[in-house]
Amino acid sequence: MQQPMRHPILAALLITTALTACSGGRQVSNEEYGTDNARERILRGGGVNPTNAGLVVFGVDRSQQNEQGGPGGVSVNAYLWRATLETLSFMPLASADPAGGVIITDWYSPPTAESERFKAQAYVLGRQLRSDGVRVQVFRQIYRGGQWVDQPASSATNSEMEDRVLARARELRSQTSASR
Amino acid sequence: MRKILLGTTAVVSAAFGAAVITPAAAQDAPTVRIGGSIQAYYGYINANGQSSNPGGTGDFGRVANSTLDAATGRGGYTAVTSLATNNTIPGFAAGGTNGIPTSAQATPAAGSAGNFARSGKNDFLNLPGISVIVSGKAAQGFTYGGQVDLEFNALEGNLSGGNRSSVQRSTVVAGEAYVYVAHQRFGQIRMGDEDGVMGGLMNSGFITNFGTGGVYGVWEQFQIRQSGNRTQTGAGQLGDNTKVIYMSPQFHGFDFGVSYAPNGGGFGNGGCPSDSATSGCDRAYAFRGATAWAVAPAGAMGAMARRNEYQVAARYRGSFSGVGVAATVGYIGAGTAYDLSNAGAQVRTMNGLNVWQAGAQATYMGFTLGAVYYQGDYNFFWGNTVRGDRQAQTLNVGASYTNGPITVGANMVTGVYEGGARSDFNAAEGRLVRQANPTAYGDRHNLASQRRWGMSVGANYRLAPGLDLIAEYVYHSVRENGRDLDAARAGVQSRGFANVFIMGSRLAF
Repeated sequence: MQQPMRHPILAALLITTALTACSGGRQVSNEEYGTDNARERILRGGGVNPTNAGLVVFGVDRSQQNEQGGPGGVSVNAYLWRATLETLSFMPLASADPAGGVIITDWYSPPTAESERFKAQAYVLGRQLRSDGVRVQVFRQIYRGGQWVDQPASSATNSEMEDRVLARARELRSQTSASR
Repeated sequence: MRKILLGTTAVVSAAFGAAVITPAAAQDAPTVRIGGSIQAYYGYINANGQSSNPGGTGDFGRVANSTLDAATGRGGYTAVTSLATNNTIPGFAAGGTNGIPTSAQATPAAGSAGNFARSGKNDFLNLPGISVIVSGKAAQGFTYGGQVDLEFNALEGNLSGGNRSSVQRSTVVAGEAYVYVAHQRFGQIRMGDEDGVMGGLMNSGFITNFGTGGVYGVWEQFQIRQSGNRTQTGAGQLGDNTKVIYMSPQFHGFDFGVSYAPNGGGFGNGGCPSDSATSGCDRAYAFRGATAWAVAPAGAMGAMARRNEYQVAARYRGSFSGVGVAATVGYIGAGTAYDLSNAGAQVRTMNGLNVWQAGAQATYMGFTLGAVYYQGDYNFFWGNTVRGDRQAQTLNVGASYTNGPITVGANMVTGVYEGGARSDFNAAEGRLVRQANPTAYGDRHNLASQRRWGMSVGANYRLAPGLDLIAEYVYHSVRENGRDLDAARAGVQSRGFANVFIMGSRLAF
């Protein structure tokens, strides 16, 4: 039976070249390919990444750094931490605890609404860059009768802030990947 | 030198978009790791083909001699008068039929001690392996690395290979070894002894993440080979012949790859100590006896008959409402080695490999289901078929469920193949001769189709990351009407079956 395809490698390479010119490609890491190596199969079955397992005999073990998103004394995900700081940077910062992953801002009154003020508390949860890895709580007060009175903020505000943090964290991560 | 390099990167940058090339980061030395695995199992094997009892002279079946029978117009047969025993080293018969046991070479003759044996039903199995894993980052966003896998279980007792006359099962054999360079935007190039994109890297639908892999697990290592009763057309069994592979990045869930290998040999220039090309020389594209490699000769290893093998595969991975799906379509094509007539003419007696594969699997809440089907010109060991042989069809179905430290699963494989080829090569006339149909002593050549059917159930208990306790049961059978699959026993055994029960543990680090 004659083979139905002629120059299949050439066609595949041409398609490849055309597609690599498109943006939006995501690098496929080695643990996403199949394997018949016994070690890799056993480790994958146990949820361990074979590229990071084993005894390092030369060089630096970068697996821990990769998990955390970079060197530095941050014990929560570094991308989410940086992104939260940047997103909340328009408000004055009261306290930031990188070990616990907590950021608390001070009361902030936007220039367009002087009779109301906001405060935000952000928690970065864990080491992984996940969509549920950051939680933001916004508190609102309005000035009434000579004193600040608590008022509920719009329910969408919290998730909107979280989305902005996640978007910024993604940007930071892709910038870091490109420069590696 | 530096200016030229920067100029080149500027050109590349312009072609593919300036955002790709960023200022060179400092290069670090690569990380080198040593890893490995150790598997230890007990097996209970209840199978046929574990004992030999050849009976009287002339009871060893026959081999085709391609001498035309005037009456039938078909090829004839020559009786085998003695049998290669279990520890015979296939010799170098004249005419370049290296590795094929001949009737003249085996001693002792029928009825004497070496041909009678009984094999037990219990055994232990030990499968260690060591890997050296290299990974590093180069400038301009490239990552690179490599791997060398050392295996201690690749051989079956005493077997000839390459230049050696005899090697033990515990001899170190390099399994896979390759180098790779990858980039987020350009994808990955891998070169070395490794599976191809359709032969293991990008497949979907093979469910083997339970037990030791089910029908594709370690049960074959307990199996005495005599009737050829093994699953041999799995994904990772297509071959680690030295190849170059390209795999693309992932775009909207799709990625694809292509690989090329010049021949079926591994680690280069195998079996070619002189220009007397034999079947053992992976670069020989024409040699006497090539047609014999369309049917796996028991006991001998040698280069496969495929030449200029290429594989292409396209894969999709995504998730819909919490259900993860993966699907792959792949194709392998290859040429074939030619046979040589007495007059020195090259004759194309075999088909090249020509196989389409499609597979898919879905995962939901720890439950995985998958199936894969492939059809084309291949035999039951991913070998080339002789021209005129039927195409093969194989279907795999499997399922597994993982909940915490426990995984259970089952898979099955069913297929129909050519089995014994229908024709043999007549070197005097320089052409294929169809064998007579069918014979009292089924031989290597048989018009019937071969059916293989296997199923398994297995379970793992994960004691710690990298440490499993395993129990597994596998059943596998092979049938080919009229063909003697076990010449070591009197009469015609056209069916082989095996029940293997495995218990043990495995560790990886």
